[in-house]
Amino acid sequence: MSEEDKQAELRGLVRHYGQDVVGNFDPRVYKFATGVGPSLMGVLFSPMSSLRDGVAALRNLDHRIIADGEIEIARGCAERGTLIVTPTHSSNMDSPAIGYGLMRAGLPPTTYGAGKNLFSNPFISFFMRNLGAYRVDRRLKFELYKDVLKEYSTVLLEHGYHSLFFPGGTRCRSNVVENHLKLGLLGTTVTAYKNLVREGMPHKRLYIVPVTINYRVVLEAETLIDDYLAETGKSRYIITDDEFSRVGRIVEFFRKILAHEGSVVVRFGRPLDPFGNTITDDGESLDRAGRVVDPASFVRGADGEVTDDDQRDAEYTRALGRRLVEVFPRLTVLHSTHLLARVLYDELARRTGTRDIYHLLRVAPASCAVGVADAIAAIDRLRARLRDTPAWGSEHPAYTSQSSAAKVDDAVRGLGTYHTRPAVLRQDDALRIEDVKLLYYYQNRTAHIPVAGGDGAR
Amino acid sequence: MSRADTIGIAGAGRFGTALGSVLARAGRRVVVWSRDTAVVDAIQTQRTCPRLPIATLPPPLEATADPRRLAGEARLVVLAVTSADVRDRAHEIGQFLDGSHIVVHAVGALAAPSNERVSEVIEQGLPTLKLGVIAGPALPGDLAAGQFSSMVVASAFDEVVAETRRLINAPPALRVYGSKDLAGVELASALSGAYTVALGLCDGLGMGPGPRAVLITRAIAEASRLGIASGAESRTFAGLAGLGNLLVRASERSADYVLGRRLSEGVVTADTGRTEGARAALAGVELANKLRVRVPVLAGLAAVLAGRAEPRDAAQLIGDSVADVE
Repeated sequence: MSEEDKQAELRGLVRHYGQDVVGNFDPRVYKFATGVGPSLMGVLFSPMSSLRDGVAALRNLDHRIIADGEIEIARGCAERGTLIVTPTHSSNMDSPAIGYGLMRAGLPPTTYGAGKNLFSNPFISFFMRNLGAYRVDRRLKFELYKDVLKEYSTVLLEHGYHSLFFPGGTRCRSNVVENHLKLGLLGTTVTAYKNLVREGMPHKRLYIVPVTINYRVVLEAETLIDDYLAETGKSRYIITDDEFSRVGRIVEFFRKILAHEGSVVVRFGRPLDPFGNTITDDGESLDRAGRVVDPASFVRGADGEVTDDDQRDAEYTRALGRRLVEVFPRLTVLHSTHLLARVLYDELARRTGTRDIYHLLRVAPASCAVGVADAIAAIDRLRARLRDTPAWGSEHPAYTSQSSAAKVDDAVRGLGTYHTRPAVLRQDDALRIEDVKLLYYYQNRTAHIPVAGGDGAR
Repeated sequence: MSRADTIGIAGAGRFGTALGSVLARAGRRVVVWSRDTAVVDAIQTQRTCPRLPIATLPPPLEATADPRRLAGEARLVVLAVTSADVRDRAHEIGQFLDGSHIVVHAVGALAAPSNERVSEVIEQGLPTLKLGVIAGPALPGDLAAGQFSSMVVASAFDEVVAETRRLINAPPALRVYGSKDLAGVELASALSGAYTVALGLCDGLGMGPGPRAVLITRAIAEASRLGIASGAESRTFAGLAGLGNLLVRASERSADYVLGRRLSEGVVTADTGRTEGARAALAGVELANKLRVRVPVLAGLAAVLAGRAEPRDAAQLIGDSVADVE
């Protein structure tokens, strides 16, 4: 094969993969999806007995999915530059949840890369395709395909398309607040900004917006935790038949969301620049000492020239990842389900002398009952520690004044009725742990909070 | 010479002055920043520094009391100050640096008073992320006298290593090697101070070359274990920053070594005589406990420093404990 033929073949492959990847944004579909869509979907997924009840519940959809945090600053950044939204990733419901959260926050829609397996459902595929999603085939590992993806993402950012990356990569199997980020296409942020600086447009800023998506119950919890514990997850294969592929489970999930106020909280953090620096309210980068710093200087050489250095840029992206990992716990919203799971797990660990899940899975059912009064007292203590340490996250904003007894009742409803097998059930004055794996999954959301003295084995 | 080819040195102490001397003698342009205007005047007018009078400072080297000039004229800045000052000096020059600068520190200890690695401390005061460390058995007197010296520069950024080597490598007086193991070089350099105290103690007790060799060997082995548990590379501890530093510091010129000798005589109590090496020993034990690594040498030294053990008993305990685990 001649050099020309090789070049032609290469161009053909790039074109093929480019067309496979490329997405579209149709404003008409966006208008439909953000206007009529939620109402229609809500009616379809309504748990109520009558259409009238369903419509009434939908009027309160805003109360079901809450968007809060540093929204005003993010809005200002969207006017000044391009947003790169970087949420935690627990569920396939994250895409609609963050989409709705962005809309509720008055933030612009974003492009995003979605696993090709998600396009198998024609209904969902239509919306994803026309709402800016581009396809990512995670089975393809070769460099050419990765380069096509990176280039596509870089060009989108250079042209000012707001983007969304899940920096953790795939859904977090264990439900811990993500602390090991794969970063992936997040690295294109530095490349895109460097190109803008080189083209004389350093004022076209890129802003990384950390976001946590916090569910009271997670649609795929059972599959995810099974996968995590079997150690077959961790991206070694792609789950194709989890709860997300079962329409009945999705309907059930929406029913639970609509039946409970604030089931999902989408919390926005203060944006960062591509080098992990925080910013002022006006979008200027601040160094670690709080001084204004020119972000363009990070890609310049000794004489102000823009320099190319892939290793440097990868290190910058790792620094950005470390900042996201620092920020995520503070942005975490803990629902009643997390709090109860944590105190029950602590009690289980205290009785058995270990927090090791594999050991705890062998614990006999007889040792798995905890007095309601003890659980309430432990939740009281946990809430007090949370209030004292904002870096660990916070309680659900709508329920900070709720009594711990009410939290227990609410958590038992969430943990006991949604999943195919209950995690916790109440029997008179005792809480029975029915599924240690699910309990572990929900308590993992608090795993960054150290065990307090007397609250369980370390 | 351009900004890219100029070396900035923050601090006109013994090491900073000696490094500047080597580089200026090799024809490199050097800007030394000192807060002490008397030192700046002495360098500019008499071509000598009162803190290291034996060093000759030829004209390619200039001194300034203005940190803005340091930042403006050099992209690479070597932070050559004490562990007690490093936080404040980084913050001070950080006002005038930006993201394009490269900062390499030459502090062979943990930062006081928090006992963090120095790079972790200075990154809070500097705008640039391109940080590194330079360490190794290069004594100021040897550098000033043009003796053969070697150091290692380490950074997560290849550019930091490459640029530091390009600008500071000045054979035969100073050879600079490269590493990616920033944490390892910092830890090895700091712990070698602790083991220098132990060597002083060993020598003060009159132990012979056999026990002395065992102590050095065991010290490097346990530092490696601690390093691996901290995410560093084992081989770093047997290199210039670890073994090299330990061997060069074991003399009466080192405050850590002198402290060890005084401990052997029972002169120092728990409340006095804290050196950088002594602090590193206590911090090392704390880190080892956290990471569940056994460090008999550091633990024995810490016991003596805290007044919980007599020097000779500690030496016996260290020997027994090492024999148990290795």
